[in-house]
Amino acid sequence: MKKRSLVPVIILSILAIVLASCTGGGATGKLQFYANGEDFVRQGFVSKDGWSISFDHVYITLSDITAYQTSPPYDPNSGNDIDGKVTVALDEAYTVDLAEGGEDAPPILVDEISDVPVGHYNAISWKMAKAISGPAAGHSLVVIGTAEKDGQSLDFTINIDEECEYQCGEYVGDARKGILEKGGTADLEMTFHFDHIFGDAELPPDDELNLAAVGFQPFADGAKAASVLNMTEMHLGHVGEGHCYCECH
Amino acid sequence: MCRKWRSIIAIIGILMLGLVLPTEAYAHGVNIEYTSNVEIEIIARYDTGTPMAGAQVLVYAPSDLSTPWLTGVCDEEGRFSFAPDTSQPGIWDVKVRLAGHGGIIHIPIGGDATVMDGSGGFSHLQIGLMAACVVWGSVGTALYFSRRRRT
Repeated sequence: MKKRSLVPVIILSILAIVLASCTGGGATGKLQFYANGEDFVRQGFVSKDGWSISFDHVYITLSDITAYQTSPPYDPNSGNDIDGKVTVALDEAYTVDLAEGGEDAPPILVDEISDVPVGHYNAISWKMAKAISGPAAGHSLVVIGTAEKDGQSLDFTINIDEECEYQCGEYVGDARKGILEKGGTADLEMTFHFDHIFGDAELPPDDELNLAAVGFQPFADGAKAASVLNMTEMHLGHVGEGHCYCECH
Repeated sequence: MCRKWRSIIAIIGILMLGLVLPTEAYAHGVNIEYTSNVEIEIIARYDTGTPMAGAQVLVYAPSDLSTPWLTGVCDEEGRFSFAPDTSQPGIWDVKVRLAGHGGIIHIPIGGDATVMDGSGGFSHLQIGLMAACVVWGSVGTALYFSRRRRT
């Protein structure tokens, strides 16, 4: 074969490389995972039964954190497992303090992964699991703080041992999250609504949230979390304002 | 015979004219025309069924996932309508928020209502070209090494 016959092969190979580079094939970026207890945890709030609660530490242990690109978008109301075309997962378990920082502290950065495929990460799942070590060892959630009502002040520690699996669709909030472009950084957030446990005095007593919440009084009376809380019904885990499918046991 | 044929042709002509011309004109007739527009109406309610009256609505077109294509507010019944740009087929996302509660719905518009995944976004043409390049390169390489040497 003459050398001349190799020319088309070389030209086409170069063309393929150029096409791939122009279209961003294999393009990657950085994906960050945050946990957020919201202002309820950072600034404290008044429960549905009038207890003014402030939080010193809210230790939550998160594992199996996984981000997905789904098409069609995942619907948490379906109760189905997330079917991701692209999946990015954190291998470790993390115990984070949602009350860390001041009243205006940003959400807690759990971890980040570099060189993940670009695209729209529009679903996330995680587990709230028992910590193996550290300040929350043996528990999935430890809430430490002070509650005050009618001149009475109580220091409290609430230990929750139930483990929960959360499967969520897209983040719902001020901005859209999870849109990762080549060389860029995108973030996803695991949001925890503690007003779902204690209720919110700023809402009417017959508001659905307050009707479902247990308030703080049972804990002031010395009740154990396991006897008053059903974590599946509390719907603690969210993506911003977006609801998640939840199973606890 | 010729006269007979002329008569038959004349009768057929009159009948055909009757089919073509309007037989009656109505002074109160109507003229209905249509244009094909797609309008989407959403109804946003809480789980309790209470309408999300006054909720903020943000509509995102498939071409720009980050910037709202349209913003608006739900009416007293939680309704909001919009006409998407049908030249942008794909998933249109509508986010509704009110007082710390919110949700998002994904509406397929047009024929190619799929979400971009992480495959890198190659078009069919690009994939075909690259596949052809690989095949051509392989065949060329094989032919090069299998050629008969001249003695």
